[in-house]
Amino acid sequence: MGFEVETLKFEGPLDLMLHLIHEQQLDIFDLDMEILTDQYIAYLHSMEELHLEIESEYLVELATLIEYKSKKLLPRKSDEPEDDYEDPKDRLVRRLLEYQKYKEVSKTLYDSYLERQDQLSKPLSIDEIAKHQSEIETQKIEGDPYDLLKAMNKVLRRLQLSRPLDIKFTQKEISPEDRILQIKARLKDLPETFSFETLIEDCDSLREYVVTFIAILDMAKDHYLVFTIDENENIWFSRGNNHE
Amino acid sequence: MNNAWITGREMTQAEKNAWFHNESLVKRVEVVKKELVAQPGNIEAVTEGLLFLVGEDGVRAEQLALAIEKSMEDTMIILENIQRKYSSELYGIELVGYGSVYKFVTKKDIHPYAQRLFGETKPNNLSAAVLETLAIIAYKQPITRVEIEELRGVSADVMLRKLQARNLIREAGRSEAVGRPILYEVTEEFMDAFKLYTLKELPDLPEYNKKDENENLFE
Repeated sequence: MGFEVETLKFEGPLDLMLHLIHEQQLDIFDLDMEILTDQYIAYLHSMEELHLEIESEYLVELATLIEYKSKKLLPRKSDEPEDDYEDPKDRLVRRLLEYQKYKEVSKTLYDSYLERQDQLSKPLSIDEIAKHQSEIETQKIEGDPYDLLKAMNKVLRRLQLSRPLDIKFTQKEISPEDRILQIKARLKDLPETFSFETLIEDCDSLREYVVTFIAILDMAKDHYLVFTIDENENIWFSRGNNHE
Repeated sequence: MNNAWITGREMTQAEKNAWFHNESLVKRVEVVKKELVAQPGNIEAVTEGLLFLVGEDGVRAEQLALAIEKSMEDTMIILENIQRKYSSELYGIELVGYGSVYKFVTKKDIHPYAQRLFGETKPNNLSAAVLETLAIIAYKQPITRVEIEELRGVSADVMLRKLQARNLIREAGRSEAVGRPILYEVTEEFMDAFKLYTLKELPDLPEYNKKDENENLFE
């Protein structure tokens, strides 16, 4: 029979198998491994024909399916002891059922997630942040880029909320190199410790935030600035060793 | 009722005498007076003000209890009162305590109007892969990367880093298994994102039984 190529996106080999089981109307509790294996291979072939990259995970599960098939083909010696390992078919069915559970429940979770998106809140009051500032200990942390990414996300979200009605008609183009010069010029007027928000006070577009972010990453790399992230995910800077 | 205390009219002399001779009442007034001195203002109003200040960061009941100098029990009652008050349709905001962090949020009916005011906001979508991984961690935590991979059949390395960066999961010590792999659990931010006060509120996992045939398996 011909295999219709579908451009469905699967979350992995188990997701693909569940789809095939459903499509072929197989009984998951009495799984016909042969049909499943053939369909699975046919699907991977069709992906190959479309020059789609087959992720290694799909091949790992393919190996399991083929191993099962080859074992069935080989005659088994009657005096061969049954091995203690779980039957590969039982194991696969157990995994499919388990995976199916989480796939189902994640849909319910997504509904709650969407509902939550409709409930909006406002940022922490600015005065409180200012008071908090004095309590920050300037403790250096080894720059984990993921921490910085997290903090950057928070900054962007705050800025988005604080200037919802800004309308812009012009676009200033500035390179990170120029931005570094600008920041260096501003440094002499800044207190010992200052926040990322301070650095982007003069920016009013996402592009400028990003350029500033790249600039400070560069400056941190050159030990011109040191950054710290407090428990509220605010980014703080102070001058580094390389700052004369 | 014509009770002076309730209607606010001036008490007659007879009533005043009766009032001052009611000892237990006098004692209660003394206690109330003391409380007023120690705690100016209505404590519920104070709490409400604090909740307003903390905004989206929210505050834990423990922190609030320290700030308003009340026991945890009293604080919980105050929070419940405020929650009940704002559940009325007279108000456009409500008090939520997802992940035991209390904060004011707008009610969902406000959202379409907010979009008119601020312009259409792009909903922050979560991919199926993110949702499945989060679901597995939430139900089976603490859990190792290998266990998640076994369940989903795909590598989870990059995904776990992303989820950590988004603060939806965190490391929770190490497993006793060989190699002492890192264990993961969901965070308060996860509970906030999915409207959960505690993990006990997670919906029950579906059960698939052979007897049911597999009719509703794929509904």
